[in-house]
Amino acid sequence: MQKVEILNGNKAAAIGAAMSRPGVVAAYPITPQTPVVEYFSEFAANGEVDAAISEVESELTAMSVVTGASLAGSRTFTATASQGLALMYEPYFRASTLRLPIVMAIVNREMISPQSVWGGQQDSMSVRDAGWLQMYAEDNQEILDMIIQAFKIAEDKRVLLPINICYDGFYLSHMTERVLIPEQEKVDAFLGSYKPEHIILDPEKPMAVDPLTNGVLVMEYRNKHLKAQQNALTVLDEVDKEYGRLFGREYGGAVEEYRMEDAEYALVTTGSMSGAAKDAVDMQREKGIKAGLVRMRMIRPFPKDRVCKALSRVKSFGVVDRNVSFGWDTGIVYQEVKAALYDGDNKVPSVPIIGGLGGEDISVGMMMDSIDRVVKAAAEGKNSECIWLMNEEEAK
Amino acid sequence: MNAVDKLASMEDMISPGISACVGCNVELALRTCLKVLGPNTILAIPPGCMGGVGVVGWDMETGAKVPVFFPLLDNVASMLAGIKMHYEKVGRKVNVVAFAGDGASTDAGMQCLSGAAERGDKIIYICYDNEGYMNTGYQRSSATTKYSWTSTTPVSKEGRGGKKQNKKDFPMIMAMHDIPYVATCSPAFIPDMVAKVEKAMEASERGLAYLHIFNPCLTGWGIKPELSIEACRMSVETNFFPLYEVIDGKYIINKEFKNPKPVKEYIGYMKKFKHMNEDEIAEIQELVDSKWKRLKRLSTL
Repeated sequence: MQKVEILNGNKAAAIGAAMSRPGVVAAYPITPQTPVVEYFSEFAANGEVDAAISEVESELTAMSVVTGASLAGSRTFTATASQGLALMYEPYFRASTLRLPIVMAIVNREMISPQSVWGGQQDSMSVRDAGWLQMYAEDNQEILDMIIQAFKIAEDKRVLLPINICYDGFYLSHMTERVLIPEQEKVDAFLGSYKPEHIILDPEKPMAVDPLTNGVLVMEYRNKHLKAQQNALTVLDEVDKEYGRLFGREYGGAVEEYRMEDAEYALVTTGSMSGAAKDAVDMQREKGIKAGLVRMRMIRPFPKDRVCKALSRVKSFGVVDRNVSFGWDTGIVYQEVKAALYDGDNKVPSVPIIGGLGGEDISVGMMMDSIDRVVKAAAEGKNSECIWLMNEEEAK
Repeated sequence: MNAVDKLASMEDMISPGISACVGCNVELALRTCLKVLGPNTILAIPPGCMGGVGVVGWDMETGAKVPVFFPLLDNVASMLAGIKMHYEKVGRKVNVVAFAGDGASTDAGMQCLSGAAERGDKIIYICYDNEGYMNTGYQRSSATTKYSWTSTTPVSKEGRGGKKQNKKDFPMIMAMHDIPYVATCSPAFIPDMVAKVEKAMEASERGLAYLHIFNPCLTGWGIKPELSIEACRMSVETNFFPLYEVIDGKYIINKEFKNPKPVKEYIGYMKKFKHMNEDEIAEIQELVDSKWKRLKRLSTL
């Protein structure tokens, strides 16, 4: 039977990682990720996990240690946030081009400047084209479940790519919720062990990793990498269903649709803000507005077909981004959703919305306003300017 | 068995025909170290000369018979630490070895090397010090000797210039990490190098073992290929680069010369110092003398 615990997001992540039995773990503390490192170290000190842990001197080394360990054949886990992710960019990019199934939690935090330690998805969204898979959790149960599933997805032979499980700093990392803990023996059976066949540093099987390589081969590497990203969509669906059968929680794959069956107006969200958005959808429906929600669980690969399908019948939609796309005057996910719809030849009016930067709350009221804007865009028959969700009281 | 016979009996783990410059003493050092380390080794060759000459490989071919990879310039020791952690965890004894230039060791990769040393990661780290970024045409590094010409520390038409700062004393910095083994090596003293690689292998069961090889670069520094080993020998016989080891904190000088030659003789071997005047040479001599005195004092502790 699954045990019930009251957990903050960081502990849920640490438990998910521990239950996946990684061989090597290396992480450098940074707010708001720090407790993940502390919890995991505590599990190791108490003999609850037998992972080798490296108390590294930087995030660059954290990613480098897990890269080395993964090359040698270990299952590996790490976690970071914001500036830590920026510091590890060099080995981060390379972990994906080496096709190493490393799992890394990113506890989303705003990027400096100005200095902020609070939430925002600018960190992980900015590195979405570094070849990793990226998923975003809405609550602490999903964090735990997705860390476990992440190993299964990443290590699948059709994928063999590293994966980020991203969750909002403080809103999830430090807030407690009821979380069901799966049975260890069932998790063991679900995950199995990691046995690399594609790349290995082992004196018994000498291999040269990364000789100087010509462009024709580089093109082939990238082409296969892109295909592996697409394969992850299929693998995620399979893993989601299997996990659902075993543990009773199925999330809908790359996209969660909420009251979209007959929706005329849709909001698209990512991460913990989706809770407030779902409340707003319910409240708008009580007022007779047929609103719905599309929650992006996966950003890389971008689930183009799922998004197109989900938004195929709406009159207009808005995308709420907890990040900005410099140069576009909108958020990042907005541009990507629009690009996906263009591919599907669907050009209904849309509303770019930015909110929650630097840890600002995105309230139910703000989500209500956002839906009003989406309704207005449909009436006007054109795309809206970017809306900034500001707390008027605080802004004064 | 003497070192020559020993080396003759060992397999060369580096492929024939790598594209190092004629007379390169780094290639000699690499082949020597790898012979001693043997096939049960995982080798990291970061960006630098030995990467450039094809030790990791070129397209579908590799320059090494052992598993070899190309770490980033700044994460050599960290990647090795991860590899070693895996093998310790699964209970297999494997030499996990870096063969890295001074740029990857004393500059960009210094933080991660220092971290690995402090944590006691059980790796063997060999730095081949050719005093700069040679694979990109000789730019200065923190290991470059003062007054040395490099492409980023040029000498004016009047013959003034060169690097403005002293060479970072990296083996000493590594020794101050209190790691089980630190040693300096020279391609002119191969039996000494063989013994030190063996000691490093033994010490790496207890923590990080660090070897610092001084490799005057023929192409970059302007040394005639036939004088490759002579230039190495002169760096030791002038006390410019003394051979010593630090075993669990104990300093041992391996080569001591009753009448060390003046540094000027070493400096005379290469074009990069051609512009130096007497005052500048005297300044380097003074530095060499004071560092030698310090080393002597350390060796009596």
